[in-house]
Amino acid sequence: MKKLLLIAILTVGSLFAQVKSDVEVPYISYQIKMGKGFDAVQANCLMCHSFGYIINQGPQSRLFWDKKVDKMITHFKAPISKEDKVIVVNYLFKHYGNGKLK
Amino acid sequence: MQRRDFFKTSIVASAAILGTNLNAGITHQPKIGQIVSNMAFPEKRPMITYSDRPPLLESTRATFVRGITENDEFFVRWHLPDIPTHIDLDSYTIKINGLVEKELNITLKELKSDYEQVEVTSVLQCGGNSRSAFTPITGGIQWGSGAMGCAKWKGVRLSDLLNRAGLKKNAHWIGFNGLEKAAYFETPNFVRELELTELDDHVIIAYEMNGEDLPYLNGFPLRLVVPGYYSDSWVKMLSNITVTDKYKHLFFMDMAYRVPDNATESETPDHLAKKTKPITHMNVKSVIAYPETGMKIYHNSHIVVRGVAFDDGHGIRKVMISVDNGKTWKEALLKQENGRYAFTEFRFVFKPTEYGKVSIMAKAVNRLGEEQPLAKNVPWNHGGYMYNGIDVVTVEVV
Repeated sequence: MKKLLLIAILTVGSLFAQVKSDVEVPYISYQIKMGKGFDAVQANCLMCHSFGYIINQGPQSRLFWDKKVDKMITHFKAPISKEDKVIVVNYLFKHYGNGKLK
Repeated sequence: MQRRDFFKTSIVASAAILGTNLNAGITHQPKIGQIVSNMAFPEKRPMITYSDRPPLLESTRATFVRGITENDEFFVRWHLPDIPTHIDLDSYTIKINGLVEKELNITLKELKSDYEQVEVTSVLQCGGNSRSAFTPITGGIQWGSGAMGCAKWKGVRLSDLLNRAGLKKNAHWIGFNGLEKAAYFETPNFVRELELTELDDHVIIAYEMNGEDLPYLNGFPLRLVVPGYYSDSWVKMLSNITVTDKYKHLFFMDMAYRVPDNATESETPDHLAKKTKPITHMNVKSVIAYPETGMKIYHNSHIVVRGVAFDDGHGIRKVMISVDNGKTWKEALLKQENGRYAFTEFRFVFKPTEYGKVSIMAKAVNRLGEEQPLAKNVPWNHGGYMYNGIDVVTVEVV
């Protein structure tokens, strides 16, 4: 059985709109699979987006995840090292892959 | 289960047509049965929640039994993680600069008092709505059919603002920037560029939605409203409008929200189109809101099938319903009270006279005669954009 970890993100933002007081945006604890490389995912991906954004892409090929991480580096300027990129892609393909290389 | 069987059939069918090439893109009914979160976001009722940061919320199917989508169940899609935590309404301005005679900084108060106030009822739909209909699974959030809504928007005409600022002769492109920010300074902003020729008098800067302030997550205090266009052009928390003579190459224009630039707007997973173009006008589409797949209905009972249809503003001519797998079609009754950019409500009384499973199909036809294709005939594209297949729900008559 795969071990699941509930990740709670502790920062809570406050917003204000038509009501004249702060409104809090909830943070959702997405269930993300644990495994080798998870630390790198946590360190490199969460800065910009939730785990929900990852797991709701659906199961994808190795090439897809490779290109996705490349896009984060090239276009979104995420400072992900070459070593971490490999670890992250391996993790994503193992846990959110479709078994196909491309 | 049923969906899996459907996939198998489709894969076999497409393999039969294309030889043994299993790598062709295929298209089918979008995903159903997404779970509504038990946690509500500000000013929203609980919705299908794909991400909290940036917030990505989808409306349920049942939402579309009505032609106006309530603010608290209207879908939400942001691109960058940092949405300002505070908007000071007294100091908030929208800046108009670039190739203008006079640079403007307009406060909300001025916007509401110094310009003609106008309203337009229009559908807002994400280009990736129903993306889960594509196989192989395309990149991006696997939306069902609820990344859309229709509201009455109130604000001022973009053209009135541009006229007040005075466009210089070489003005050609208008860039729109909102207040959402990335985590890293170097990340590109979510800026959209539209050509001046694309912007008619129906384009407004809206501060009100269905008679209320815009919900925070729908772009409070101001958003661009481009009736007929997919929502990537409807910039939220709009803060800056820049007029230029040349197209600026920007990530969200050059890389995202694009489809193959060929006659059928299609490609295959193995041969992606080299030339692409931005998505702009919405194609004709309808969604059945009631009943939903998996529901049971009574034999000989009268049920009223309900849903919505829309296109890019040419207007809906008719919605056809089939309850015999597409052999025969009958016209649904339409309610069109809110203009050509709005949802057309349709309803169809159906009395099931046979037991067992029955599929209800809805096909919208617009005033140009364009109609929805069967799901399997919607061309696959790698971004999973512009799905508009004939909607099918399967219920059981008991």
